[in-house]
Amino acid sequence: MTRRLAPWVAGVVALAALPAIVPNSFYLHVAIMILMWTLLGSAWNLLGGFAGQVSFGHAALFGIGAYVTMILFLKAGLAPWWGIPLGGLAAALVSLPIGLVCFRLRGPYFSLATLAVAEIVKLVALNWETVTNGSVGFLITTFPPVRFFGLAVDWESKLPFYALAALLALGGLAATAWLQTSRLGAYLIAIRENEEAAEAVGIDTVRAKVLTFALSAFLAGLGGGFYAAYFRYVDPDAVLNINLSMEMVFIAMVGGLGTVAGPLVGAVFLTTVGESVRERFQVGHLIFYGLFMMLAIRYMPEGIWGRARRLLAALRARVLGHVAA
Amino acid sequence: METFAQSLTSGLLTGALYAMIGIGLTVVFGVMRIINLAHGEMVMLGMFGAFWGQSLWKLDPFLSLLLWAPVMFVGGMLVYRFLLRKIIPGGELNTLLYTAGLSLLIANLALFAWTGDYRTINLSYGQEPVRPFGISIAVPLAIAFVVALAITGALWLFLSRTDLGRAIRATSQNREAALLMGVDVERVATVTFGLGTALAGAAGVLLAPSLYLYPTVGELLIVKCFVVVVLGGLGSVPGAIAGGLLLGVVESLGAVYVSSTYKDGIGFVLFLGVLLYRPSGLFGVGK
Repeated sequence: MTRRLAPWVAGVVALAALPAIVPNSFYLHVAIMILMWTLLGSAWNLLGGFAGQVSFGHAALFGIGAYVTMILFLKAGLAPWWGIPLGGLAAALVSLPIGLVCFRLRGPYFSLATLAVAEIVKLVALNWETVTNGSVGFLITTFPPVRFFGLAVDWESKLPFYALAALLALGGLAATAWLQTSRLGAYLIAIRENEEAAEAVGIDTVRAKVLTFALSAFLAGLGGGFYAAYFRYVDPDAVLNINLSMEMVFIAMVGGLGTVAGPLVGAVFLTTVGESVRERFQVGHLIFYGLFMMLAIRYMPEGIWGRARRLLAALRARVLGHVAA
Repeated sequence: METFAQSLTSGLLTGALYAMIGIGLTVVFGVMRIINLAHGEMVMLGMFGAFWGQSLWKLDPFLSLLLWAPVMFVGGMLVYRFLLRKIIPGGELNTLLYTAGLSLLIANLALFAWTGDYRTINLSYGQEPVRPFGISIAVPLAIAFVVALAITGALWLFLSRTDLGRAIRATSQNREAALLMGVDVERVATVTFGLGTALAGAAGVLLAPSLYLYPTVGELLIVKCFVVVVLGGLGSVPGAIAGGLLLGVVESLGAVYVSSTYKDGIGFVLFLGVLLYRPSGLFGVGK
């Protein structure tokens, strides 16, 4: 039990210590981005890594979370810590009909269908102007003073966002850890390896996939809600961009599909590279995402974490072997 | 009635170009089972080829086809030979994700090199639309349409009359059987990928004078392209032609009679409907 809890405790301690160590707010921004992408990579990984269902439509769920959080805040005055979970719930709700339709398709056909759904959601956001403000989107100019457990929140500092992102990322990792040991997780792996066989042994594959999609959508929606509050800006191009779906896929894949730590490793690696390039050149930070994706599939299909874990296991076996001998 | 004829015509003209892009995607899928997500970026490269040809070397955009189609053909063969071929044994999802990476890489390299500015190509001729039977037709689109028809016709002859064309169709129908009949399947795959890339690039060159150019235009085109090939049935060349024309007409009529803002959405809804209820395509020729 202690061996399983140890990495979590270490992680929480490291997260708590980090703001004190980082030299300036750019690094804190990078840390926040890494945490947000850990959550989003984890969200995609539940469906893509465990169930083997490659969705290209997660940007839609992210965008729904972002819009719901933003609209609730601007039109109903609801603070983001209510808006973000409600955004997640909205994304999960929307995922149900999408899942019921798209899961009738398999393999690459499922991927193409989710891509089409994401494009439809984007079109609706662009054109349903009374609700979404069309291509103009929403902007939060000033946050009203908000208190959180009696403490006034300083919106100009990045610290509250860092704390929120850390909480969300831990939530994403915990959800993955739970899924890995749950019965549902076992069903998903069976579906990934052989869907016909999974059905033949009595697994309700559609139910398992739809449930996982809803959980994945909830996490993606949380990420979107966080994005809206952090960047204070939402428009179809920013939060419903197909590149967001791709980034989630790439982070989970480069980090290690179907593992708990994979999305974290992928986010640390890709987001650091990406944000550094973005800071220096403004455009083209996704060059490296594409490149590392291609390299990973070619040379390291199990991902960085998958490979590292295997090497560690081999090393441990050798060391233990020596001890035994 | 006149509006109907007008929008039907412009739909068919655009549709022929959709068809040409779709054929490239569908032959590649037929032979190698690769759904090439980078296909839209190949079109984008063709568009920028036409643009740079004109602005740097004063090359007529349509004539530059003679330069860019062979370049794209060779480029496609190299991409297949050195990048994609080793990924294929990993399965369809791996190649899908690999081409997603390639797509992002090409689009962002282009963004880096050429910035995200919108560009246009101005022709010295064809400013005034031609008006046969009272229907107004933009000259650049009309030229593109005629050239696209000629290329599609030539491709048809190539696929049905030549040995290599027959080998491509045979591999597409049944890879193992083709292999047993002595077809060099690897060579066929390389040539097919070159052909698909060249078709995408050529369509890009032809489209360039009629559209805005920007490095991420491929995103929009690839989704349309999927609609086209799924409508016609993945892997079927006649299906892609029919699907392209159908999408062009549906979009154009939809813009007039349903809603111009949702015209792209009509294509997507059609796409989902076909995927769900007729996965082999509307004409039942795909697989």
